[in-house]
Amino acid sequence: MNPKDPEKLFLESVQDLLNQGAEDLGSQTERRLEEFRGRALMSAQEKHLRFFPLRRWIMVGSFAMATLAAAGLFFWLNTSTESLPTGQIEDLEIITSQERLDFYQNLDFYRWLESKEIRNRQNGKEL
Amino acid sequence: MESTLDSKEMLNRFLADVERRAFQMAKFATRSRDDALDLVQEAMFQFVRRYSIRPREEWSVLFYRVLRSRIIDWYRRTFVRRKILTWLGRPEEEDSEDPLQRMPDTGNPNPSDHVLRQEKRGVLEKAIRALPLRQQQAFLLRAWEGMDLKQTAFIMKCSEGSVKTHYSRAVHTLRGLLEGIQT
Repeated sequence: MNPKDPEKLFLESVQDLLNQGAEDLGSQTERRLEEFRGRALMSAQEKHLRFFPLRRWIMVGSFAMATLAAAGLFFWLNTSTESLPTGQIEDLEIITSQERLDFYQNLDFYRWLESKEIRNRQNGKEL
Repeated sequence: MESTLDSKEMLNRFLADVERRAFQMAKFATRSRDDALDLVQEAMFQFVRRYSIRPREEWSVLFYRVLRSRIIDWYRRTFVRRKILTWLGRPEEEDSEDPLQRMPDTGNPNPSDHVLRQEKRGVLEKAIRALPLRQQQAFLLRAWEGMDLKQTAFIMKCSEGSVKTHYSRAVHTLRGLLEGIQT
């Protein structure tokens, strides 16, 4: 940029006046600013000394609780609608029944036999 | 332990370096010395709590971003308060000028030069206060703090194009108002 650029000259004089204003705040304001700085630095030191502040523990605990609740809700909703198909109920009956296992292994055969008998009976009636 | 002391000293120097300009910026925005002090205090605490662990070269941008957020919050609070006061039929009093600004500096060797400069400074500060907030911030961050476009956009939470627009409008307005200030 040209050193005699009027915009540059304008900005330089503005900067100069602003800097002058910042240097001339008055002793009361300067003391207050110094006091704030000291307190802010103290708070930084306290932050370094505290390993894991209470607020952080609360946040972590809340997050864990929310995650658990969400997972519980998800599983509960899933099981309530789809987890008990009829096949499983039949399996339960088989497991709890006193019949011998051979009976269930031959169940298909018995069903076929029954259907054949019914068909024969129907044919007999027709005849 | 030594590194903690070093970082504390670095933080102290950084805050000492920016606090005066930060105060002036807040004062331009709020037109109140007390509110400006409150905002700088809040910004210092928030910056130290959140960002003091970040690399040193990021501090300046982060500090001004925090300060700018505090100023915006102040604007919102003041807007609501004024609305309520207006609704209740009690117009809020305008903040008076800082009496410290009017105190003479007896240490200056050339009183006439000093008065002239004070006068120019008064005109400039009044013109900056009269700018819309975004133009004011874009101008102060770019022209005074020397932030580049990207940094200013980050601080102001807007696009670089917006910063360019606000900055050029501010320069145009100020140059119009302050004809002859550089002479």
